[in-house]
Amino acid sequence: MTGTAAVDAAPYFDVTDPSFSIKSAAVHEARERSWYARTNYGLAVLRYEEVSRLLKHPKLRQGSAAWPAHNGITEGPFADWWASWVLNKEGEEHHRLRRLMNPAFSPKLIGGLVPRFQALAGELIDGFRESGGCEFVSEFAEPYAARVIAIMLGIPESEWPVIARESATIGLAMGVTIRQDMPKIEAALANLYAYADELIADRRRGERDDFVSALVRAHRDSDSLSDTELRDGLLLLIFGGFDTTRNQLGLAMQTFMRHPDQWRLLAERPELGGKAVEEVMRVNPTVTWVTREAREDFTFQDLDIAAGTTVHLFSESAGTDPRVFGEYSFDIAADRKPHFGFGGGAHHCLGHFVARSDMSEALPLLARRMRDPRPAGGEEWLPDSGNTGPVRLPITFTPAA
Amino acid sequence: MKVIVDLAKCQDHGQCAIAAPVVFQMDEEGKLVWDGSPDESQRLEAEEAADVCPVQAILIQD
Repeated sequence: MTGTAAVDAAPYFDVTDPSFSIKSAAVHEARERSWYARTNYGLAVLRYEEVSRLLKHPKLRQGSAAWPAHNGITEGPFADWWASWVLNKEGEEHHRLRRLMNPAFSPKLIGGLVPRFQALAGELIDGFRESGGCEFVSEFAEPYAARVIAIMLGIPESEWPVIARESATIGLAMGVTIRQDMPKIEAALANLYAYADELIADRRRGERDDFVSALVRAHRDSDSLSDTELRDGLLLLIFGGFDTTRNQLGLAMQTFMRHPDQWRLLAERPELGGKAVEEVMRVNPTVTWVTREAREDFTFQDLDIAAGTTVHLFSESAGTDPRVFGEYSFDIAADRKPHFGFGGGAHHCLGHFVARSDMSEALPLLARRMRDPRPAGGEEWLPDSGNTGPVRLPITFTPAA
Repeated sequence: MKVIVDLAKCQDHGQCAIAAPVVFQMDEEGKLVWDGSPDESQRLEAEEAADVCPVQAILIQD
């Protein structure tokens, strides 16, 4: 798995090898030898400074636009939806969509949802607290993430299982079995489109003071989002916001169970919720790599990068780079440089204010009511490259008021 | 109107240059350049740029 490629002295990783771990000691050792590694996809960037610069480098574009085509999916509803993503567009076409969508995700609008996030977290915790244990993913992370989406969309929170189910099905498109799964994926898309169309039609009939209305209302001069752009955007919100939040909450619990002193500190000082989210995402991000592709031949730090090269920016390796963060520590009160868990540059995560806000409310409430959490066995995990997180995370704890 | 950018916070994500391209631009190296005292006609866009900045590094005064 680790070796030296013939091309140069850079480390080499087969990142598709099931035994490869992106958060492993082998990756950290490689980081000490070289700022980059070669992989079977292209390049992996391992250090903070280089990840930071390449994340926003003008010679690189977002790297996932061609994924369906690489798997033989060139037409149909899924290919069309993928191509519609603001994430998969570049230049003025991207900027126009981003300009129209950004204001609905403004921190000013999100701030009003904080009491709802708190009430939701409280209700879910009360559902299992007295038993002194739970399966953290299905009893907290998943319903919390899905109901936050329901709150954003203004649909009944009781409909969260639809969001969870259809979103998970669409997630199959990120895997290597995308072609076989396509009929299921397209059925899930159709279900969510029906939801989105109903919402858009409703807000066109009468605006409310909510997120969907803000998107419907969004305009620049005489330009605004069409119904097709709105439904594609709403589906991207559901898909981009649900899995990531569920996974990141599970990873947060994993990290805190390894650092019980920090969990106690969070219970005592709930105002550290925001910094706790940043610290978790620095050392244990769900998005373990950010993908870029070279637009043209260019040279970066004496390395020639050919047009079309896939460049994976390793977020955990960068976030724990000792050049910037010193010896490994997990400290929610420390002042740190920014992590790369939300990507960066023109494609910086659109929903990060929502994610930051909902997770920073959830974690201190969990810390206060669940003392000394520890693993109860029977964990199941997603592969740790790409978007990772627990599928099942049974825990036990001491209930507290 | 004064546009102040906290360069200790700024990470050159460039969301401001998307929101308010007259006031903010990214140079060929991907670094932010901006107009510190833009025309009043740019106010709405500049405020939107401040609002969407992922690290909240932009301040608009008067």
